[in-house]
Amino acid sequence: MGSIRFDKVDKVFGPLTGGVKALDSIDLEIAEKEFVAIVGPSGCGKTTCLRMVAGFEAPSAGVVSVNGKKVTAPGPDRAVVFQQFALFPWKTVRENIDLGLRNKGLAKSERDERIASALRLMNLESHADAFPHQLSGGMQQRVAIARAYVLDPEVLLMDEPFGALDAQTRVVMQEELVRLARVNPRTVLFITHAVEEAVYLADRVAVMTRRPGRIKEILDIRSVREAENWDRHQKIEDVMDLESFVHLRTQIWKSLREEKGPLGV
Amino acid sequence: MMGRKGLASLTSVAAALLLWFVVTTLTGLVSPGRFPSPAEFWQSLVQIATRGYAGAPLLAHAVQSLKLVLLGFAVAVATGVPLGLWMGWSRRAEAAINPVFLLIRPIPPLAWIPLAILWLGLGDAAKIMVIWFAAFVPSVINAFAGVRAIDRPMIEAARMLGTPRWRLVREVIAPAASPMIFTGLRLSLQASWTTLVAAELVGALLGIGFVLNVAQQDIYPGMILVGMVTVGLLGWATTWLLAMAEQRALAWNMAARD
Ligand SMILES: Nc1ncnc2c1ncn2[C@@H]1O[C@H](COP(=O)(O)OP(=O)(O)OP(=O)(O)O)[C@@H](O)[C@H]1O
Ligand SMILES: [Mg+2]
Repeated sequence: MGSIRFDKVDKVFGPLTGGVKALDSIDLEIAEKEFVAIVGPSGCGKTTCLRMVAGFEAPSAGVVSVNGKKVTAPGPDRAVVFQQFALFPWKTVRENIDLGLRNKGLAKSERDERIASALRLMNLESHADAFPHQLSGGMQQRVAIARAYVLDPEVLLMDEPFGALDAQTRVVMQEELVRLARVNPRTVLFITHAVEEAVYLADRVAVMTRRPGRIKEILDIRSVREAENWDRHQKIEDVMDLESFVHLRTQIWKSLREEKGPLGV
Repeated sequence: MMGRKGLASLTSVAAALLLWFVVTTLTGLVSPGRFPSPAEFWQSLVQIATRGYAGAPLLAHAVQSLKLVLLGFAVAVATGVPLGLWMGWSRRAEAAINPVFLLIRPIPPLAWIPLAILWLGLGDAAKIMVIWFAAFVPSVINAFAGVRAIDRPMIEAARMLGTPRWRLVREVIAPAASPMIFTGLRLSLQASWTTLVAAELVGALLGIGFVLNVAQQDIYPGMILVGMVTVGLLGWATTWLLAMAEQRALAWNMAARD
């Protein structure tokens, strides 16, 4: 459960007013429990791809489907972690996490159990009754991840989830996400600007072209990770030092460089 | 509470009272026929509080005015806020309702008074209707603007979590718009008092506006001032209560601000 498929997907914004072609014939298949990261130049349509899987946006042509079923509306089977967290500031951490569970109509005892385990998983136990504004950015993002994970979604959609965090917090969150992915693997579509992050986290990395965005190439990270046994290293910096890691990173980097405009933007 | 600021405002109030005493009583710069002295004010207050004036004691007038304001305000808020939320949420509702709204809005609420009296007489109903018309508008506009200002990701997060419609309104849209809603309520409350006094001035048999009207006909400056001060205090007290309610309801927001 949880496979994602883009089938010749085009997206044109504002077709009535001339139109901006954001995506051009995107073909991409993400297998169940696979972690795919998308990298690409700014404005190439990464967010648009994710929003179409989430059901916030409809393709102009082609089909986006999850489990072979065409996506038509948002739903808790496809949990989203937003770049700007999008927590409800008037709800406590616990209430934020609880909303999705209440929407599912679960009994109080089961909800409490699930919330407790999500809080434990994200190291938030001592902040359960805090309001979001009382937390640091890293903690807020952990709440947003807990809110998504607690639904036990088939698909997890993350749009630059660590983009707003400082470098240290970011590393901690990346390691945490890897740990989470081991404990409880999910299908993940992950968008990022950071090439290292993509290589560190993903099974495959898709590189997109400049707008109108197309999939330029897809790199298999997983086979390298397994062959070189990256997982024996606990810390992200140790993995990043490995020759195989550097090689993949450079390859993606070069591919992205070709896509940048004359000014390198 | 009572810091430097409190001390400063206390000083300025004391200075104003002293000035009042000086110009009316000590120097006689302002003649008593135009503006009452503190002593006259006090006598008028004692008269209306104990023996009554304009047909009833002060308390009865005050209770009557307060009752009408609270009723009119409640009706206006109970109808205005939901309408504003709905218009903010649904483009179709906005398209349907806004034209009517724009047509009626330029009419000053006080201009409805004659029609209200014609329809409903001099009783409470006419005044509640006029207050409703006046207080309705700020409630609608601010609730509407509050919804329109909500961050889109917030709504998308709620939809992604599978939040059903009513829960979305109650737990996401209304709280997200609540800072603006409260701004609307404050303006509505002010409008309620303004309108009530005007309506009572025009036609009433009880209430602070009626006291003011009778005192004017009696050429009784002391009593006019008593009426003005009473209405000021009532207005201040209701505003204060609303501010307290706001502080409780928006605790999450206030804390985020500092
Ligand atoms: N709602 C919209 N209306 C009009 N144009 C839009 C809309 N959303 C996105 N676009 C345009 O579509 C293109 C792709 O946008 P998108 O947000 O998907 O890019 P992105 O790859 O996520 O960029 P970034 O890396 O900066 O986040 C951009 O040119 C953007 O201006
Ligand atoms: Mg984006």
